[in-house]
Amino acid sequence: MRDPYEVLGVAKNASDEEISKAYRKLAKKYHPDLNNGDANSTKRMSEINNAYETIKNGTPYEQGYYAGYNRNNSFSDFEAVKRYISVGQYIQALNILGSINNKTSQWYYYSSVANAGVGNRITALNHAQTAVNMDPYNQEYKRILNVLQNGGRTYQQRSQSFGGLEDIGTMCVRFALLNMFCCWCC
Amino acid sequence: MFGYVTANSEKLNEEQERYYRACYCGLCRTLGKEHGAKSRITLNYDMTFLVLVLSSVYNIKVVEKGQERCIAHPLSKHDYWYNNITKYAGDMNILLTYFNFLDDWKDDKSLISLAEAKVYKKEFNQVSKKYPEKSEYIKGKLKELSIMEKKGIMNPDMPGNSFGDILGEVFAFKDDENIDNLREFGKALGKFIYILDAVLDFKDDLKKERYNPMIRTPSNIHKDILNILMGDCTQKYESLNIKKDKELIENILYSGVWIKYKIKKAKEKESDNERSL
Repeated sequence: MRDPYEVLGVAKNASDEEISKAYRKLAKKYHPDLNNGDANSTKRMSEINNAYETIKNGTPYEQGYYAGYNRNNSFSDFEAVKRYISVGQYIQALNILGSINNKTSQWYYYSSVANAGVGNRITALNHAQTAVNMDPYNQEYKRILNVLQNGGRTYQQRSQSFGGLEDIGTMCVRFALLNMFCCWCC
Repeated sequence: MFGYVTANSEKLNEEQERYYRACYCGLCRTLGKEHGAKSRITLNYDMTFLVLVLSSVYNIKVVEKGQERCIAHPLSKHDYWYNNITKYAGDMNILLTYFNFLDDWKDDKSLISLAEAKVYKKEFNQVSKKYPEKSEYIKGKLKELSIMEKKGIMNPDMPGNSFGDILGEVFAFKDDENIDNLREFGKALGKFIYILDAVLDFKDDLKKERYNPMIRTPSNIHKDILNILMGDCTQKYESLNIKKDKELIENILYSGVWIKYKIKKAKEKESDNERSL
């Protein structure tokens, strides 16, 4: 792996703000959404993302848990994580996960469950997806991903029965009118 | 606030639409009476939703209604209604608006925002004195948000949760058996609003090299995430046991909150089509 500071083109002692600035500049250039999903820029962006995250890691906010000292995971670590999860102590579970350096599919699975427990639904979804991508045949990983997506699906179905907002052209105008009608009223 | 929490008027009947607008007009009128005409320009439909939900949970009926003309429509009279929740929502609007202006000032160094904030200072101080805990809490959460933005936090849950906490506090109307359910509902709605705003600004922010917490999340799952967040919000909504104005409130939660998203997507599609022609 290339030196993350080199990837972002910043000095080793760069400040948080300088690193963010450099990252955003590169994101503007390489983000797949601004490059029609071009394969090369996608690859480059993923390298930039990894560099950014490697540098930023250790910031407690970034991962949604408190990163402790790094170590390799052992059987007993996951046992403890599982125990904490089973009694609903998700923060403690996340604390241990944060101290594990080697992020296997199992790590992403437990992280997904614990993050869902503390209400970090987006992280939970991302990590469940990562676990499934790493190990597509694991039924348990698929199950948790499905559970997380299900709340959204049920909502979406109901939402459609409330009117799908399909005819957006006329909608747009009517909505604008409604807003104007009341924006100065008293 | 952003004005995303609005009704889909296409799906309301005439009576519902009139009642909904009258709720907004009542809020606007109350703001004007309590805090002066200048405070009216800051109003949007988000706080109207607060009035609807709290009035329903506490089963507070319309206490006064009437018809009047206003600056925007001097020729025709229209309805308004209000109750004591309306006053509370107006106060919350002042609180959020003031912080919002201050924030814009810090972001863009825009003199207009600072001037607006100064104009509002008196109103803000008055409301702040009335709700000292809420004011301090919201201030603390906004500080948290600005630190995260400065640090460039890419995990959308983190700023999303902080923003959610703000709306949770606004929905926590009074300390009784409803407070926890209302706070949880407000939190979930606030998180959706924050993430929706990030999703809608996502490409613009990329181009302008601004902070956006959704940059790291692939855009093909943005909509799934929004659906999951609203799924969570409507689940919390169920525990509120809403009866009064249920249809109108659900119109907003299941349809109205998507209007700005759909308009933006339609525009993006249009400009893509133009480019390919």
